[in-house]
Amino acid sequence: MTDESYETRGIRRVLLELGGFSKNALGNFFSPEFLCVLFPLLLIWEFVPRLGLIPESLLPRLSTVAATFWDMLLHGKLAVHILYSLGRFFAAFGIAVALAVPIGMLMGWNQKIRAFILPLWQLLSPIPPPAWVPMTIIIFGIGSGMHIFLMFIGIFYPVLFNTYQGIKDTDPRYLASARVFGASEFTLLRKVYFWHAFGSIIMSLKTGVAMGLVMLVIGEAYGGRMGIGFLLGQAKDYFLIPEMMVCMAVTGFLGWFFIEILKYVEIKLAVWKVGR
Amino acid sequence: MIEARGISKFFSVVNEKGLAEGLTAVLNVSLSIADGRIVSLLGPSGCGKSTFLEILAGLQAPTDGEIRIDGKLVLEPLPSTRKEMEEYKRRYRFISPLANGVFTDRPKHDIAMIFQDYAVFPWMTALQNIVFALKLRLAGKKRSERPSGAEIAEKAGFYLGKVGLAGSENKYPSQLSGGMRQRLALARALSVEPKIILMDEPFAAVDALQREKLQDDLLCLWEEAKDNASPIIIVMVSHDVPEAVYLSDEVIVFSPGPGGTVRNRIPVDIPRPRARTDQEIVEIQERIFAILQYDINQESMYAI
Repeated sequence: MTDESYETRGIRRVLLELGGFSKNALGNFFSPEFLCVLFPLLLIWEFVPRLGLIPESLLPRLSTVAATFWDMLLHGKLAVHILYSLGRFFAAFGIAVALAVPIGMLMGWNQKIRAFILPLWQLLSPIPPPAWVPMTIIIFGIGSGMHIFLMFIGIFYPVLFNTYQGIKDTDPRYLASARVFGASEFTLLRKVYFWHAFGSIIMSLKTGVAMGLVMLVIGEAYGGRMGIGFLLGQAKDYFLIPEMMVCMAVTGFLGWFFIEILKYVEIKLAVWKVGR
Repeated sequence: MIEARGISKFFSVVNEKGLAEGLTAVLNVSLSIADGRIVSLLGPSGCGKSTFLEILAGLQAPTDGEIRIDGKLVLEPLPSTRKEMEEYKRRYRFISPLANGVFTDRPKHDIAMIFQDYAVFPWMTALQNIVFALKLRLAGKKRSERPSGAEIAEKAGFYLGKVGLAGSENKYPSQLSGGMRQRLALARALSVEPKIILMDEPFAAVDALQREKLQDDLLCLWEEAKDNASPIIIVMVSHDVPEAVYLSDEVIVFSPGPGGTVRNRIPVDIPRPRARTDQEIVEIQERIFAILQYDINQESMYAI
């Protein structure tokens, strides 16, 4: 029997991967140990307001929040708002990663390139991303351009610096052994540097997801008519605590979901690390 | 044919007072190694033998002197005057002199190198490691002359079988034992059918039983290449005296560092196959032990 006979293709393969993904992602939540913690917490959330220990106007019940979620989904166009936010988020994430990873790789690879551009990032990166908001609004106006740029600022620097560091720390032994066989610098970048830095690149993408969501909420709360951050801002203005909680939960879920996807990609691509 | 003429290497290091200080790693080493010979570089740690090997491989530029492989210069020595230095810096502004090229894969010499800690890529399977090296070595050829992917994979599998790794094609190095990883490195070096294999303490990290087996395998493969009229030069750095004597045609003893230079060249003219406990071999071993012992004693006296 060869390995090929175990290989599945087509729809079965997709289902298999989905199963693997959900097992990896949800396994932590449905372990008996964690359920022992989660259920009492949910019960406390439900019964503390119900028994009047905390006024319900400050801490709505779990069931109220769930009902609000359902209501927003049906009547409040929650799904449309989420899609808007997701579209902007992916645009920003894509642009940031497509720029930060190659620039980081070039900086880590060549000292001369590093000397030219590293100080620029060292000057710009300490500016906290929320401090960019006023300037961005002036330049881009209120709209998707502004949201995408703000998220880009949040994602770009962590990805850039972690990629750069990972590439720079590549073990010179691996480089030497590839060079002796005649590898060009481009081959080294593709086959050696990148894979050596792969772990830190994935790590940086996780940080990027977190920073991107922070900037998503900040940016959309400042202006715009659509998006999950806008809903949150609106709920704040009208003091609708259940709606606020729904928005919080949705952003939290999105962040968790993206990070789980990245983890799964890492497991799938970095097979050599499994079992170490 | 390897010819090294007057190789010296100086480093600039920072001493405990925070001042720059010169350090001589290799001092004026001249050697010539004929085709198809096994030569060991032997000496206490820190005597510059590894540095010399890296200069041979073209991984470091010598401060002075030149190395020619079949008459072709490996790396030009570093410039010595300020004017030359400026010119050198201008020429290699963006890409280091060690690089083969920015986009084109191009082996400069027919060399393969094996490192002490294997340096097989952990992110490639055993087979992919060898295919990687094979593809690089083929890059110099015209597109029409290159073998297909299946042929390359077949050749890689053939060399894996040769070192006794058949069946481990799809394993990652982390799933292999230390001895198997070293075999993989050996297979990768042999697969490109090089004229020269450089080894930096290849068997130092392997246990004693594995080591003897690996040494015999190495000799076996080397004899095979010789019979196929493609003799391989093996240059091996070692600090294991019995290993060096057992394997080599010539043992080159370095003086203790810093500033290692050739102290003795001891030919081992014993026909193969040899026995490890052969009287002649043991005698040569004792001679080398005596030389090293003397050096160590003298060094400590000198230090006091």
